[in-house]
Amino acid sequence: MRHLTTPLALAALALLAGGMAAAAEEKPIVIGITAAIQLQVGRDTVDAAQIAIDEVNAAGGVLGRKLTMVVADETMDPQQGVAAVKKLTADDHVDVLIGGYNSGVTLAQEPHIADARTIYLGVGAASPSITDFVKKNYKRFKYIFRVNPINAVHQAEQVAGFVVGKVKGDLGYRTIAIVGENAKWVQDLAPVLKSTVEEGGVKVAMLELFDPDMSDFSPLLSQVKDSGAQFLVILVSHANSDVFVKQWYDAKFPMAIGGIDVKGQDPDFFSRIGGKSIAETVTNGLLAEPLTPKTMPFWNAFNARYKRPPVYTAPGAYDALHIYAEAVDRAQSTDPDKVVPELEKTRYLGTQGTYVFTDDHDVKPGPGLINLLFVQWQENGKRVIVWPKELATGKMILPPWINQRADAAK
Amino acid sequence: MFNILVYGAVTSAIYAMLAVGFTLIFGVARILNLAHGAFYGLGAYAAYVMTGPLHWPLPLAAVAAVLLVAGFGAAMERVLVRPLRQSALAVLMITLAVALIFEQGMFLLFGSEARNVPAFVTDTWTYSGLDISGQRLLTLAVGVLVLCLLYLFIQKTRAGAAILAISQDPEGAQYMGIPANRLYSLVMALSAGIAATAGVLTAPFLTVQPTMDLLPMVKAFAIVIVGGLGSIPGSILAALLLGYSETVVAYTVSPAWTEIVSLIAVLLTLILRPAGLLGKRAAF
Repeated sequence: MRHLTTPLALAALALLAGGMAAAAEEKPIVIGITAAIQLQVGRDTVDAAQIAIDEVNAAGGVLGRKLTMVVADETMDPQQGVAAVKKLTADDHVDVLIGGYNSGVTLAQEPHIADARTIYLGVGAASPSITDFVKKNYKRFKYIFRVNPINAVHQAEQVAGFVVGKVKGDLGYRTIAIVGENAKWVQDLAPVLKSTVEEGGVKVAMLELFDPDMSDFSPLLSQVKDSGAQFLVILVSHANSDVFVKQWYDAKFPMAIGGIDVKGQDPDFFSRIGGKSIAETVTNGLLAEPLTPKTMPFWNAFNARYKRPPVYTAPGAYDALHIYAEAVDRAQSTDPDKVVPELEKTRYLGTQGTYVFTDDHDVKPGPGLINLLFVQWQENGKRVIVWPKELATGKMILPPWINQRADAAK
Repeated sequence: MFNILVYGAVTSAIYAMLAVGFTLIFGVARILNLAHGAFYGLGAYAAYVMTGPLHWPLPLAAVAAVLLVAGFGAAMERVLVRPLRQSALAVLMITLAVALIFEQGMFLLFGSEARNVPAFVTDTWTYSGLDISGQRLLTLAVGVLVLCLLYLFIQKTRAGAAILAISQDPEGAQYMGIPANRLYSLVMALSAGIAATAGVLTAPFLTVQPTMDLLPMVKAFAIVIVGGLGSIPGSILAALLLGYSETVVAYTVSPAWTEIVSLIAVLLTLILRPAGLLGKRAAF
């Protein structure tokens, strides 16, 4: 009897599954956005994804199915982040997760994402540890990809390239200080940055990490001054760089500054702090320059719709959505186990360059692929790309008081 | 060295402005006001709204912000604290609620990003290795002025004498016809106004964010414990002590170690001298 029932049951199951699959084809594909929506980086993730969803839907959707979006607020707290992912996977049954900003939050979410067997495309967090999971346990964590930004170690290499090529090469400064918030991504980035610039012949007079909640930077800036550094590399994302830059400007500390300053990427940063970010150079992934044929159309669409320019998570989320849609199309299925191999084959020309994934599902940096732009705040809040050389749109300037002192010394 | 002297003085002045109001309202009305940091934050946000979206001139905005918060303090005493005065615990909880409402309210109204308040003085002073913004020096000057005025007010006016009387013997003072409730409102307004002054002055160089009330609150608490709860000279002494120790640690060790200084000071005080430096008896 058992010999008969087993194949029968299997056949029935298969029929049932087939029927369910057919019914599912009618349903929309659900995009789950997990982002810190209290912050610009989070709101831009949501808004940019919406633009991409509307584009895909206008072109007929994917596999004949429309895309819809569900949003959960992951905040900056790992516990809330895990709750957001659980809600999106268990309650909303999303087909893909897109989002992230705080590396600590993303790292806490990863086991839950893997358990839910849901594809995750990171668009905001930079810690290399995020994709280390994939390297260490591919079978379990293969659903996790980072689309944006390039990871902290790669960022360190690009910042080092800027320091050696531009700060030492063009400005002639040979002594720098590195100051960053005490967070996972900086702990990953700073040592690589230090050793790479030292190999390039630049002296690092000081390396200091500070508490992200710190609000008075004067002692730190005084120490940098006393160290003799001519250029200060800052590495801040969660900390209050509004205050940092204001205090640097107000006391006219005698060194130029630049580096990774996520709040300094905000389009209103210059006006928000009363123009005090003059001559600060910050990394950006995207700017109103035709980096690829897709950059300006996206930039303009975002501006037109939301009346503000996008921050770095926006091009990431926009491109991530298109990358996912194309992978689903190639796989002819939303089954994560079928989509993952297609995502791995990605070679997608997006708004910031060409996206290719490494074996551990991290976005690959380099010429022709994804690069950081070093963008300087100049008079009247104009933003000028000063590095890499081949993309530069203008000359790098020094803070006005350093110019004055240099003139006075002459 | 010179850096430590000047920056330490600025930090101490800010701390003293925060702590005197906190200790005053406790000394006089026995209110442990956990919304004291919210007064500081409200002052900064009010200055932001008036100078930013409303485009008021800065001096007008600053005065209006301080008066607004002082009025808020008096109203809070009258509406929220007075009906609960019988229970110290209920007062503690209602002030905590006000602090939380401040944070969430600012979150909803202005988001979590930092806001900018323009500086009164934009000049920079450079003198023998010291670089300091004029706004910080102004904060130091105003801080000293406010403390002197507060001293004169308490020592030289009738209202001041009444405040002293009621802090020494509430019942006796009431038998003498001193209107306790009206004085409590006045002291709450004073305390809120001084905290808001600190908020308006420091907003241009420190942060204006929804969570900005927490650190000043913790600092005020620490100073008041070290100085002796209810003692104004004690808080000023403790503000100098903590302001300078933090600055010395920040300059000679690392800025990352500053926050632990006040915690160690609190711990040592509670173990060695629970009444605080100038306190008469242990408050807890």
